[in-house]
Amino acid sequence: MSTITFERTGKRFGDLDAVKDFSITIKDEEILGLLGPNGAGKTTLMLMMGTVYRPTSGTITVNGFDVVKQPNEVRRLIGIAFQDPRVDGILSGFDVLNWHLKMTTTFDKDERRRRVEDVLKALDLWESRKKRTWLMSGGMKKKVEDAKILVQRPNIAVFDEPTAFLDVPSRLLVWKMIRQLRDEGSTVIVATNMMDEAERLSERVAIVNKGKLVASETPEQLKGTVKGGEVLELTLNDGSEFRPDMLTKFPEVRDVKKQDNKILVFLNSGTLLLPKIVDTLSTQGFKIESVRLKEVSLEDVFLTYTGQRLE
Amino acid sequence: MALRDVSVLFRTPWIIITRGLAFVIQVFVFAYFISTLIHIPGLNFWEYYSIGSVVTTIASISFVIGYDIFEEAEEGLLDYLLTLPVSRRQFIIGRALGGAIRAIIYTIPMFTVIVIFWGFNQPLSIASALLSMFLLAFGVTGMAITLAVSVRTANRFDVVIALLELAVSRASIALYPLQRLPDYVKGIAPFSPVSLASWNAWSSLAFSAPDLLNIAALGAFVAVFLGLGAAFYFRRLEGGIYA
Repeated sequence: MSTITFERTGKRFGDLDAVKDFSITIKDEEILGLLGPNGAGKTTLMLMMGTVYRPTSGTITVNGFDVVKQPNEVRRLIGIAFQDPRVDGILSGFDVLNWHLKMTTTFDKDERRRRVEDVLKALDLWESRKKRTWLMSGGMKKKVEDAKILVQRPNIAVFDEPTAFLDVPSRLLVWKMIRQLRDEGSTVIVATNMMDEAERLSERVAIVNKGKLVASETPEQLKGTVKGGEVLELTLNDGSEFRPDMLTKFPEVRDVKKQDNKILVFLNSGTLLLPKIVDTLSTQGFKIESVRLKEVSLEDVFLTYTGQRLE
Repeated sequence: MALRDVSVLFRTPWIIITRGLAFVIQVFVFAYFISTLIHIPGLNFWEYYSIGSVVTTIASISFVIGYDIFEEAEEGLLDYLLTLPVSRRQFIIGRALGGAIRAIIYTIPMFTVIVIFWGFNQPLSIASALLSMFLLAFGVTGMAITLAVSVRTANRFDVVIALLELAVSRASIALYPLQRLPDYVKGIAPFSPVSLASWNAWSSLAFSAPDLLNIAALGAFVAVFLGLGAAFYFRRLEGGIYA
């Protein structure tokens, strides 16, 4: 059981409100994506939860433990993989992970070695396990940073931009391992400013902007909040007889635009509505030459809520 | 946490070797040479200087933990260390202790050379000298940590720590007896923690007469700077209560 509750949490650095009135409850064994641009306050939220920063207002509880009053209990539950790798450059990847396990678990030497070996092999780092981390590429170092939490398997695993600097195969691999971590019982929080990462990895996405929580729903629910965000593009063999009111009768349709034989329908739940639209037009005698549906992306959601683009 | 700081020392063995060689040259060439020029009744200057050299070396090495912590804070490694399941109290004591043990391990070979060379063979005297050196190292690490978390820019930190090291080590009676120091140093030298440690080490080893008052003063030095280090540390980091 690892429920995390932020209750009107705030953090002020001088005159700057890095986080303001932030309230959210993160459920046991869920993967929550914290989506926001750089400087949105994601890292500050994580560092407050990890007991590094003290909130200046409100509270944060982890499994019922207050991060200010019971920091030691909280630290035992959490593991954080930082955005910029926080590894001792003079140590090898193997030693970094072994030391991390030594500090965070009660495993004996053999168990530590087994876990480190498993994760390093899975991340394709085993061959370079003896290489000092300061000699590693940015991607390798980032994998070592993520590996700290993957070997630890804490109750609450926090990843800050887990796939920054990684190539595509490595990104997919890390995502898979993060999902496995959740399947084994961890609650996972992933801070990211990458739409596809938030969308593919998270069961729920919390949009953070300028230190505030803007929205928090499943990716599908968030997309549903963008009214008329999907665009259905139909090409008819002859559109001269087409009238927009043929389609605006559906409540999910927000707007219809006609450009010669091309019809643009702005709607929600396009996948569900598509057969009905095709049926309606066919009944009216139109022949449909092509159909294309552009779904709402999280980027559209972000734009709707914050008025700015992320990427 | 303490073991981590100790292990740092062994990652760079060449530093131990070169510093060790520098110590040998300082004691067996420089100190031998100037001891032929300085004659103080009742004082073997070469012996006095040898012991003082070990004590100033340990003080110097103890300051290094300050650089380590400052660098860790700059590189963000400190944030990571603070998320580990270690209480803040254990953390600060562990870091100071690690720095002190590291300094002791570093200087043990030099101390052994001096003990053997001068034929000091009283176990209690040797233990008393080591105790004062350890207290000095522990206090200086606390002082260095205080400084590392209270000075915010790298350049200012480098200057301040260098000046402090100079003041603590050089404005002391570790290498030159009080009566031969210039007047502007005479006033402050007896209060330097390096003076306290070197005086006790010398009187213990050379005369088998430990100075308990000095040891008590060194204990107070440790308590003050460990406490100050902790207080500044928590204020700077805002990382929760002193648990």
